[in-house]
Amino acid sequence: MSTSATTFIPDQGSTDHGHAPHGPQGFFFTYIWSVDHKMIGLQYLWTSFFFLLLGGLLAMGIRFQLAYPGSEVPLIGALLPSTVASDGIILPGGYNMLFTMHATVMVFLVVMPLLIGGFGNFLIPLKIGAGDMAFPTLNAMSYWLYVLSGIIILASFFVDGGAASSGWTAYAPLSSTAAYNNNTQIGQSLWCIGLFVNGLSSIAGATNYITTIVNMRAPGMTMFRLPLSVWSLFITSWLLILAVPVLSAAAAMLFTDLNFGTTFFNAQKGQPLLWQHLFWFFGHPEVYIMILPAMGLVSEILPVFARKPIFGYKAMVWAMVAIGFLGFIVWGHHMFVSGMNLTLGAMFSVSTMVIAVPSAIKTFNWMGTVWRGSISFTTPMLFALAFVSMFVIGGLSGIFMASTPVDLFVHNSYFIVAHIHYVLFGGSLFGAFAAIYFWYPKMFGRMMNETLGKVHFFATFIFFNLTFFPMHNLGLGGMMRRIADPTLYDHLRALQPLNIFVSWAAFGMGLATFIFLYNFIWSLRHGKKAGNNPWDATTLEWTVPSPPGHGNFEKTPTVYNGPYEYSVPGMAKDFLPQDEKAPDGARLAAH
Amino acid sequence: MMKTFPTKLLLAAGLLVLLGVPEAWAQVRDTNLYWAPEAVTVTGQRIDVLLNFIFYLTGAVFVLTQAVYIYYLVKYRKRPGSKAYYSHGNNKLEIIWTAIPTAIFIGLVIYSNRLWGEIHSTPPENSVKVDVVSYQFGWDMRYPGADGKLGKIDVNSYSVDNKFGLLPDDPAGDDDFSSTELVIPVGHPVHLYLHSRDVIHSVYVPAFRLYQAAVPGRTIAWVWFETIKTGNFQLACSQICGSGHYNMKAPIRVVSQEDFDKWQAGKIAAKAEEAKAAAAARENRQSTAALDPAADPARNLAEKKL
Repeated sequence: MSTSATTFIPDQGSTDHGHAPHGPQGFFFTYIWSVDHKMIGLQYLWTSFFFLLLGGLLAMGIRFQLAYPGSEVPLIGALLPSTVASDGIILPGGYNMLFTMHATVMVFLVVMPLLIGGFGNFLIPLKIGAGDMAFPTLNAMSYWLYVLSGIIILASFFVDGGAASSGWTAYAPLSSTAAYNNNTQIGQSLWCIGLFVNGLSSIAGATNYITTIVNMRAPGMTMFRLPLSVWSLFITSWLLILAVPVLSAAAAMLFTDLNFGTTFFNAQKGQPLLWQHLFWFFGHPEVYIMILPAMGLVSEILPVFARKPIFGYKAMVWAMVAIGFLGFIVWGHHMFVSGMNLTLGAMFSVSTMVIAVPSAIKTFNWMGTVWRGSISFTTPMLFALAFVSMFVIGGLSGIFMASTPVDLFVHNSYFIVAHIHYVLFGGSLFGAFAAIYFWYPKMFGRMMNETLGKVHFFATFIFFNLTFFPMHNLGLGGMMRRIADPTLYDHLRALQPLNIFVSWAAFGMGLATFIFLYNFIWSLRHGKKAGNNPWDATTLEWTVPSPPGHGNFEKTPTVYNGPYEYSVPGMAKDFLPQDEKAPDGARLAAH
Repeated sequence: MMKTFPTKLLLAAGLLVLLGVPEAWAQVRDTNLYWAPEAVTVTGQRIDVLLNFIFYLTGAVFVLTQAVYIYYLVKYRKRPGSKAYYSHGNNKLEIIWTAIPTAIFIGLVIYSNRLWGEIHSTPPENSVKVDVVSYQFGWDMRYPGADGKLGKIDVNSYSVDNKFGLLPDDPAGDDDFSSTELVIPVGHPVHLYLHSRDVIHSVYVPAFRLYQAAVPGRTIAWVWFETIKTGNFQLACSQICGSGHYNMKAPIRVVSQEDFDKWQAGKIAAKAEEAKAAAAARENRQSTAALDPAADPARNLAEKKL
């Protein structure tokens, strides 16, 4: 990657990007305050890896406590902050910090920055034929705001009282009145500030993406020639712009409740349920913010390795648009049993069932894509294929909670924990892994090792299912979320062997991540040279060198075709790049 | 070169599953398909019918889609000379696979919301009424006395001396008795009034198929159910409520009507005794010098916390 800024001579005549070409720059401007969208994308990637390890470690802590409550944490027990553990034994309040911060880190510092920050930045300009983002400096600022939010959230572990411990959903008044929650006032306040800053980063990024996609597409790149990954990021950006400010406002209100005596969420003078409405008005679109980009990236990978156009391109686009709209009117399904009006709950149940339809459409179209294909099972393809299956499980288990009476039974149980991890890990993270293996050659000019990649895939796939599938049973067996010691309950004691089993599977999954990290780092130097287009793919990023130089395209490309012209009849090669005119005799069909 | 390696890994994983799962399975309860506790309320059993229906529906969808998917993956794997079929999709199929899920979901939402309405219908007049007050980190139950009426309360006037927030001018509350366990008669409707003194808690009883949050500053008055079996259960808080959340539970005893009547009579008698003793003590105290409330630091602290 050290070659990116130095060896490539950008196009002098391109007018797509406003800044003049420049020669070699110092370390600081290349790697730290870079305004090149590719470097910013990689910065997001590396930073989110760091937080992935941290969030994973917190998960291991949770699983250790649930398997062996009251035992000393091996190896790192002595290193844990005194608010989390005493003598290496996790405290109940410390356990609350672990799951609160696990979710906060994974949602705001891993999945969003990895999928949206990392791949959004790296891919959007390359895929639409632009030299960079519309606002490169804003782009850099958005990355550094993300880093700042991470530091603020990390720091909260070490302040007086410890980190926030009211769950990542931070239900008031537990979160808004420090006296109710072990005086974690500073930690909870830092949580508010962290999310506020993180929100600024998201809003800035989303503004940039929308402007770039609307204004900077290469000639011929109509909206319906955009790759689905770009469509998904476009729709995600709209969701960010509309949903994140609500969270920021709610976090600000929570902050003033905590510190300045306001009573927005106070039971006597305010309304505790107001927090839940604000939080979930953000929180449900947030679920789609995290899954849509993964859907887009997977939709990009399946056609390449099936050597077939994506099935139902327009249906895929409209399904994502529908998810985007409907995502804003389903938040109340988190609140069926919260004390919200019962009839309102019934209405939210209707909208929730409706939003399952576009998800079903997408699944059928993915299956249609592999139908009659010529499928090669590379590592990115394996992760993409697994994504579809895991998303099906996560989607189907969602129907249980969408049904109001069944929610009376499974609400806030481990059934929910199973569900969200099938969508968020089996969905978003499997999609992210697929994308990393797929675009790594474009990012670094070298291939990742396939053997290690397959070990990583099978280990992750198997341990993932062994970890999260039994959680459905734990939930139906009556195991609540967020309790530090299940053995205290009569009806859960019998389930303890299953908890231990789940924990060991989780440890296996944690270890599998190191295979991935080793492969990632090893391949930087030792991977096979990739060339411009190692996968014989059609989209524009594969027409430029790997890694692409500053400015991306020597000459602004002109686009003639849709993004998925594979196995076109009447052609010698089995793919037609977007910037190549169809040869005589090629029988293209409209999509 | 890649052929042997996933096979080996799959074998190893298969072994792990074979060794691990039956071990866990054997030790775990032997009740039913999902290891869920038996449903012991009328509505709980109806919820189970719906749960089973959704389980078989989603199970069938899962098996079908995955079978087709895996069949495609095997059948259409890349082989020498194989060529993919060039197709951008099929609008007729899109309409079919939009319409079928829509129809299923409409059916499901109608079924669900009808049951939801029934579960939350008006509680029968003859219900046993219980005021359930949650706090960090426990439960207080209040039953009506001989008059069968719960005294009126104010959700903002909880204090150390008035842990149910009773209004002093409502005489119906004078004979209400409290309990730290939830005792209910089998086969009789029970109507819960949910309250919280501090943060949001939730009433969770898996065997009753019951979850409902208790919100501070409000009365949740729509929870009622009828049990069909006697037994001992646990009332658990299932909404993170602070550092003691993990152990916020109370016993539930579902007993025969006779046993319930006996227990209730005993409690009412004890309450009457208690009231008499309290009245005597009050007289006593008035005759001696009035105590300065500020002299009791423990009480002051507790009041501040409330």
